[in-house]
Amino acid sequence: MHVLIDAVKLWRLHLAVAVIAIVAQLIGIRQISLGNGAILFLPLLYAFLIGVLLNPNVMAKAAVFIRQREVRAASPLIVVAIMPFIAKFGTTIGPAVEDLVDAGPALLLQEIGNLGTVALAFPIAVWVLRMGRESIGATFSVAREPNIAIIADRYGLKSPEGTGVMGVYVVGTLFGTLIFAVMASMLATFDLLDPQALAMACGVGSGSMMASCTGALSEALPEMSDTIVAMAGASNLLTYATGMYLGLFVALPFVEWLYSKARPANPVSKEAPA
Amino acid sequence: MSADNAAEIGVRPAREKIALLPHFRDLVLISVIGWALQLIATDMSPIAALGGMAGLYAICAGGLVLARFAPFYLPSVAWISLLGIAATVPFVPWDQAVLGVVEEIDFLALSVPCLAYAGLAVSRDEVTIAKRTGWKLAVIAVFVLAGTYLGSAVIADLVLRITD
Repeated sequence: MHVLIDAVKLWRLHLAVAVIAIVAQLIGIRQISLGNGAILFLPLLYAFLIGVLLNPNVMAKAAVFIRQREVRAASPLIVVAIMPFIAKFGTTIGPAVEDLVDAGPALLLQEIGNLGTVALAFPIAVWVLRMGRESIGATFSVAREPNIAIIADRYGLKSPEGTGVMGVYVVGTLFGTLIFAVMASMLATFDLLDPQALAMACGVGSGSMMASCTGALSEALPEMSDTIVAMAGASNLLTYATGMYLGLFVALPFVEWLYSKARPANPVSKEAPA
Repeated sequence: MSADNAAEIGVRPAREKIALLPHFRDLVLISVIGWALQLIATDMSPIAALGGMAGLYAICAGGLVLARFAPFYLPSVAWISLLGIAATVPFVPWDQAVLGVVEEIDFLALSVPCLAYAGLAVSRDEVTIAKRTGWKLAVIAVFVLAGTYLGSAVIADLVLRITD
């Protein structure tokens, strides 16, 4: 019975989520045309935005309905709430298993593309924005939970590297779904890269970013929707399996080496975690 | 979330213990919200949508049980993914039966409750970090996300061109 009573105590949270989700779904998918391209706005984006606006830590007035207790309870529910979505993804991967085997080499090798964070963002951090050791934590990965653990373990989160990874984590949490929806819908309409490749790239090891990315792609290319979902889902599953090892054994040592070359006078800190 | 005694059976101290009953309960609540969203997003009948959500619920519940009791550790989302695949690969006898139940479910609508919880879960600390982060890290974050996406997409595109 305790199990049920605990849930009833959180009625404000679940009611708020139900109302937010229904409003977001009723608004539906909207798009803004930009020349040849288009940016899609998806219900999941509105759901996040309305949630943030009803969050007492963002809007003080929201505290009359949503209190700190609801905020704390919401955090572990994010993972539970993504589960039916992950299950549906699995059931779309299954029937496409032959296509996935055909695309196997691309699917496996594109995991290396997650090092693109270093290739694109590290030079900008170090040479354009003249940032310090924050660059290391900020650019070695997409800064999701497993990557935070790596930085916390090696440098401590109060170090500059920790500031870097936490900053990107928070920006990713707040704007990641929007950024992925914009990138995916624009690239889908530009017709430069194979849609299968764009779908595989959606699997970055974050459920909500993948949702936004695949949602935008499959709305832009509805006739390929099943393939897109299967490729993205398979790639995301691979990233769950490989992401942490790529970060720990490849990306982080590589970024440390790059930084030591770029800033010989300001060596990477090796102190014990705080 | 409260720990639940029923989930303490079969102690394996080496791994993080998932409290199964509270998870099952929360999944029921989330599935009910998800069911309402399916009625908006798709042309499914209320009964068909209920069946679809129940099918996904069973896969999630199975994944949680495996994450809790399987002899080696994988995150629950990975188990759920694998079960979803195992339920629908063409060479199992039950694939068409499972697909008949879940195929019409709209995946995008399923992601909506998760983002609503995520918006409500933004903590005071995260707001503080976001304010303190400064524009440089915010710019870098955009390039980090663009970098992983473009990196993977370009490599996949090249490999697909070579192997096709």
